[in-house]
Amino acid sequence: MQSLLKRRNFLKAGFLSSAVILTSGCDIFGVTTSRDTIKILQNDLFPKAKDLGINTADYITIVYRQHKIAKRDKEFLKNGVKWLNETAIEMFKQTYTKLSSLQRQEVLREIVTTQWGESWIDTMLRYIMEASLGDPIYGGNNRQAGWKWLDFEGGKPRPKKVYL
Amino acid sequence: MYDICIIGSGAGGSPIAYELSNAGFKVVVLEKGALYDETTFNKDELAVSRRDMFTPPLWEQKHIINEYSQSGKFTRYDGEESGWSFWNGSMVGGSSNLMSGYFHRMKPADFELLSSYGEVKGANVVDWCISYDELEPYYDKVEKVIGVSGNVVEHDFQEPRSTPNFPYPMLETNGVTKWFDAACETLEFTPVPTPRAVLSQNALGRNGCYYSNFCGSYGCESGAKGSARAALLQKCKAKVITDAFVYRLDSKEGRVTKAHYYTKHGIPHTINAKIFVLAAQAIESSRLLLNSKNDAFPNGMANSSGELGKNLIFSAGGSGSGRFIFENLTKEQRETLMQPGLFFNRSLQDWYDYTDGCHIYKGGTIDFLFEHQNIISRVNRELYDENGNIMWGEKLAEKIEKRVTTSRVLTFEVFNDWLPTDNCNVAVDEEETDKYGVPVGVINLNSHPQDLEVGEHLAQKAVAVLEAMGAVEIDYSISGSPPPNLVAGGCRFGNDAKTSVLDKNCKAHDLENLYVTDASFMPTGGSVPYTWTIYANSFRVADVIKEELMRDSSHS
Repeated sequence: MQSLLKRRNFLKAGFLSSAVILTSGCDIFGVTTSRDTIKILQNDLFPKAKDLGINTADYITIVYRQHKIAKRDKEFLKNGVKWLNETAIEMFKQTYTKLSSLQRQEVLREIVTTQWGESWIDTMLRYIMEASLGDPIYGGNNRQAGWKWLDFEGGKPRPKKVYL
Repeated sequence: MYDICIIGSGAGGSPIAYELSNAGFKVVVLEKGALYDETTFNKDELAVSRRDMFTPPLWEQKHIINEYSQSGKFTRYDGEESGWSFWNGSMVGGSSNLMSGYFHRMKPADFELLSSYGEVKGANVVDWCISYDELEPYYDKVEKVIGVSGNVVEHDFQEPRSTPNFPYPMLETNGVTKWFDAACETLEFTPVPTPRAVLSQNALGRNGCYYSNFCGSYGCESGAKGSARAALLQKCKAKVITDAFVYRLDSKEGRVTKAHYYTKHGIPHTINAKIFVLAAQAIESSRLLLNSKNDAFPNGMANSSGELGKNLIFSAGGSGSGRFIFENLTKEQRETLMQPGLFFNRSLQDWYDYTDGCHIYKGGTIDFLFEHQNIISRVNRELYDENGNIMWGEKLAEKIEKRVTTSRVLTFEVFNDWLPTDNCNVAVDEEETDKYGVPVGVINLNSHPQDLEVGEHLAQKAVAVLEAMGAVEIDYSISGSPPPNLVAGGCRFGNDAKTSVLDKNCKAHDLENLYVTDASFMPTGGSVPYTWTIYANSFRVADVIKEELMRDSSHS
């Protein structure tokens, strides 16, 4: 039973933990996981969350499970991880996760000039804000740290069970 | 067999359920959505606002939208691909659960738009077939049964009332309303406390408002908000069947005989009743009738006039805002500004009609309210810098913190007539179907140029108030983009069966036992939100149906 549960959880988190293989022509240029990329990217986009003790990367697992988020939006999120890493390889011959902080900022400044890149960062920031400022029942907004940061009391009553 | 089968449990259907079941008749209400109530409502922004938990996913149920330009050309939008949704609250009580409850009566002149203001080129303006005086007793009834709080202030366009004031006192308001009132005095405008369908005290077996700070878009867990569920369905014995999507009506010899519905898993059921009342919200009511073709009604049920689905209207206008920033305020003013929970509740109706040059225009209403407290939405509005570039990192966090904690936004909403036109209507698609296999609705959209001119005129007045109050970053948008939650028309009522779908009692001209009591009946919409008028009209029709059933009972 335990192994079944583990497998189910693994499948649920499949997108985050499976390898993103990056090629250029026939050569494999790099292998990373979406989780690693997203974790580093989210900290680059909104380091305040880490200061507040909020884990925003795991929230993406919830996003992937959510039936009210369209499949194509989930696909876009997934493809963006690949495209971000491809841009990193093009610019610095390394996956995003292996770049220095300054190099990663350069990559972000590069992709934001493209339509997909700006849209993808916008999407990612919105999920970061959901994780940081949504009800703590979803696992983000640790001890209401996001709300306290913005002097926000939260609406009452709070949810007793998760919807997402 | 039921005496009455009502399709839709919102503001259009529930007054019938309440009145008829309390009169001893056997009533069933078919509701597509689920039951949520005071025990389950909460302020979960992620679920309610970010994931629209009360509306169906667009990949399961969508509309096709054709947006017409003034030249008559249109652009087609697939609801699923574009994300353009016209769904509201799919739940017991409908979208009245989620309304803000800004309640204004229509004015006497709204019932005589053609006679009062004349023809408008390119618009199908007509007078209503009932007068304000005929509806007034029912507006009054809504104040008492649904519960409306407010305070009557005399002004040029105050409508006649049969009682001097509202049955419930005004809700508490934020101190910034004093700044508003002072600005209006300087400008010689008349501030009106906005009437609200929210109880300011315990009454009617419901709790008073507890000032949660989250009213619009959310269900109310005190029961203070006058939703059709809290105020009516929970106060009567009508049977409500949830998860019941009605997809077709059958008729025989001039009478509706059956309503067919699917559960969400596609299990079919039928209901028989003596009288059928359709109140599925304007677009869906027309869609259901158009999808209920038979030999007698090859173009859709109750459509011998060819008017079914025509003259769809919305509330025209738009919205705007201004920001109050700490740098411009004293310590005391800052504290007043940031008082949580209390309402703003101010409206202006000084320009319900106005003269421009030699022409008298029908104007409208401006409601003022604080920006919604949804914190994620507020923060998301800060993701771009003043040049429109997306931000990230420390700079973004600093901007968010400053904007949210040291300023507050006052918004306004403009309501004016959406003039009915030939290119604004409901049809059904010949190819696209929803998850039930039922043809989806086609929404043809067109706004009349005068709608924008009037909206612009009103918005300028709102801007003047915000400027006089000391707000900065004042901005607004008046557009022909329709608010999906403020929709009416499609089944016009009228005295002539050749030019209208319903008679003056909202009974289909073509059928003996079919009534339509959501906002579909409205030939024009007035310059106010519709809900109070929908409730009032439904109570009016309830009296007609009650009389008919009592007459039948005494004969049998």
